Amino acid sequence: MGIEIQFIASDKLRDKTPPQKVQFILDHIKKSKNRILVIEGSLSSSDEKELISKTMAAIDKSFPGIEVASVGEQSSTLKTQLIKLLGGKPSGLTVVGPSSLVKQIKKDPDKLSLLTGK
Amino acid sequence: MPFKQFFSWLKNLFGSRQSFSLGLYGNVNAGKSTLANRISKDWSGEEMSSVSEMPHETREVIKKERLAVKVDGKILTMNLLDMPGIATKVDYRDFIKRGMKLPEAQNRAKEATKGIIEAIKWLEHVDAAMLVMDSCEDPYTQVNITILGNLEARKIPVIIVANKIDKKNAKPERIKAAFPQHHLVEISALKGENMDKLYRAIAQYAKG
Repeated sequence: MGIEIQFIASDKLRDKTPPQKVQFILDHIKKSKNRILVIEGSLSSSDEKELISKTMAAIDKSFPGIEVASVGEQSSTLKTQLIKLLGGKPSGLTVVGPSSLVKQIKKDPDKLSLLTGK
Repeated sequence: MPFKQFFSWLKNLFGSRQSFSLGLYGNVNAGKSTLANRISKDWSGEEMSSVSEMPHETREVIKKERLAVKVDGKILTMNLLDMPGIATKVDYRDFIKRGMKLPEAQNRAKEATKGIIEAIKWLEHVDAAMLVMDSCEDPYTQVNITILGNLEARKIPVIIVANKIDKKNAKPERIKAAFPQHHLVEISALKGENMDKLYRAIAQYAKG
């Protein structure tokens, strides 16, 4: 079975609260073992913390966890909040995938590399 | 010196707090428990954590309370917290590959996930933190970035500890290059190398 890469526009998550955003990501990852999400905009450190906690609570025999990485400016900075208020798009992107599929995400400040495999 | 740092320095000088909590954070198998044991043994004569090559050996927060650390003639009293290693995945099959039986592996995985949640909750309660990194590994991991981001957001003082410098392939300079804005101490918790530098850094940066 091939890998599905789903690109999600920032508008999709724009009006969600941080817990809703994290739940949305987890639900989408858990729905398909072959799906990688590429989300427009980077997660804030608080969102990332929430995502790790929620992932830990969701781990079972068939779901061993995720690999996640963000590049670009974190979405909670004053600058990005202002951009959001003015209706602009956040910078950066976030990649999330199930760890059963995404073995490693190597991160540089401005670059992400995914290693997949079963 | 910015005003906040100056104020923090003044507080350090006059010892505004009787004791403070210092959390040891980091990826799995970065050497947090080895470091906790080294600090605990240096100042109380006894170890505090169990150490193993098996990932997720520490699955709950282990505390050593009121540890008196003497630095340059001054006594710092701290509650040392050895946190479970933070990860984004915990697969029981990894424990089976390392020789565990299925029920034991599943139980360890379950305990490990709970430990990670507990460690994350503690991010909001520690007074200071040491982010321990394995000098042989890529430091630019999402876990390290997430921990640092949350500590910075709460203005919790943090020292980056480049551990395992006794290993041949250690490259602590990679850690320095990845996080140049933070104070970094290169140590070997196993061999006790540079521990004096670490204690000075705790006195200088962590005791807010």
